[in-house]
Amino acid sequence: MANLEEALKIEHVVYSEETIRERVKEIGKQITEDFKGKELVVIGVIKGSLYFLSDLTRAIDLPVKVDMVGFSSIPDTTSKTGIVRITKDIDIDITDKHVLVVEDVIRTGLTTAYIIQNLEMKKPKDITLCTMLLNPDRLLMTIPVKYYGFEINDLWLAGYGLDHDEIGRNLPYIAQIPKRK
Amino acid sequence: MAIITISRQNGSLGDEIAEALASRLGTIVISRKYALDNFFGEINPGTLDRLNESAKFFEMPLPGSNRTYSDILVERIRTLASESKDKDLVILGMGGSVLLSGFPDAIHVRVTASEATRINTIAKKYRITNDEATEVLDIGDRKHKRFVKTVYGKDITSPEQFDLILNTDRLSVDECVDAITELARKHDIRVRLSRSNESSKTIDHQSRNISFKNETEEEFARILNLYNIEWLYEPKTFPVEWDAEGNVTMAISPDFYLPRFNLYLELTTMDQKYVTKKNKKMRLVKELYPGTNIRIVYKKDFNELVDRLKLFGGLTDNS
Repeated sequence: MANLEEALKIEHVVYSEETIRERVKEIGKQITEDFKGKELVVIGVIKGSLYFLSDLTRAIDLPVKVDMVGFSSIPDTTSKTGIVRITKDIDIDITDKHVLVVEDVIRTGLTTAYIIQNLEMKKPKDITLCTMLLNPDRLLMTIPVKYYGFEINDLWLAGYGLDHDEIGRNLPYIAQIPKRK
Repeated sequence: MAIITISRQNGSLGDEIAEALASRLGTIVISRKYALDNFFGEINPGTLDRLNESAKFFEMPLPGSNRTYSDILVERIRTLASESKDKDLVILGMGGSVLLSGFPDAIHVRVTASEATRINTIAKKYRITNDEATEVLDIGDRKHKRFVKTVYGKDITSPEQFDLILNTDRLSVDECVDAITELARKHDIRVRLSRSNESSKTIDHQSRNISFKNETEEEFARILNLYNIEWLYEPKTFPVEWDAEGNVTMAISPDFYLPRFNLYLELTTMDQKYVTKKNKKMRLVKELYPGTNIRIVYKKDFNELVDRLKLFGGLTDNS
């Protein structure tokens, strides 16, 4: 059986473990300064943000509360594409709290927009976005991305939470993989 | 902000819907009782009884004035509506739909129910027999109709003055309130968009019936629906070039407006020559209408979005 790198057909490393570690530390430090003295709830988006959330929250030197949110598409008889629905809602009350949503990657921002809309219904004080990877050229939505690790282009990537058919999330670095037809 | 007028048949749960709606919106119900308590200064009990009893007394002048009770009623309600700004307003009865027929902010709701339902509701509410309830209904309906006919010369039962008519035979108070608030919310978005044209050179392009120009637009609308992102189709035209006489020679009507994100999206999935032209229009929109969020969805963006959605079956950490 092929190992992880072979299974993903990795073309080259885009961001190494070391590079990621340093950048996460920097973001964590910035968040620590920005939210000092404030009540902050950090919400990771399942499943992509798993590793980033884990590292980032440990780089934030504040008494944050951590939760996760998950969503999925369900078939809908009235449309070809189905409907996106929350499958794992947050358990923590975020009413009147500062919320930091953590994503692995934001491209068009559609899924992020969906999550923001849902969280807003719970009346937080504000919502800030943090993503490991951001593709500003593809960003369609006007969403408040305040922190990001790296800007990316249209490469197909895997690792550090990003998957290829659910494989590759546990790759400790971010690598380019072949675009699927 | 919503101004909602509610006209109702007796026993149709219209009063209960108005109360629940006002409570949901965090406001109060402006009813005939509210008007009598607040609009006319101090009223002696005899006059109050007469105003409660019969519409024709609204045509009487106020003591020491040449203005009638109905003049004051009309003025006060229109003033409330004009000055409501960002506040919600629920007006129950008093011919609100007639009074505020020219107000773009207002939506007019009529609550009805079958006679059997209404008799049943009245009989239960007042613990009276069905025969007694029938009589109460007859009198009440006649009074409502006569009030509007006498004060405004209109027929309150004619359906064309209402935006929404609810039949509570099978709808609960909550379901009705849900329907009204959702309609009011969407109506508010449309009114705000229309109003935004007043302060700029943009043109209202909202249509009551969507007709997509091509399959790409339809597919993109489906994608937005998938993410539960509200959209309006081509609601506004931005003129971007004029001739010497001020006639518009070039304009763009972005395909989608996402009110939650205050964002216009223009789909460009055609030939490169059109893309270049659209890019120019985008640039001009940004220059001529500062603060407008407008983006082009290029063919590549669109195809990649569709590809990713297909690959992930809609579930997408990567989209």
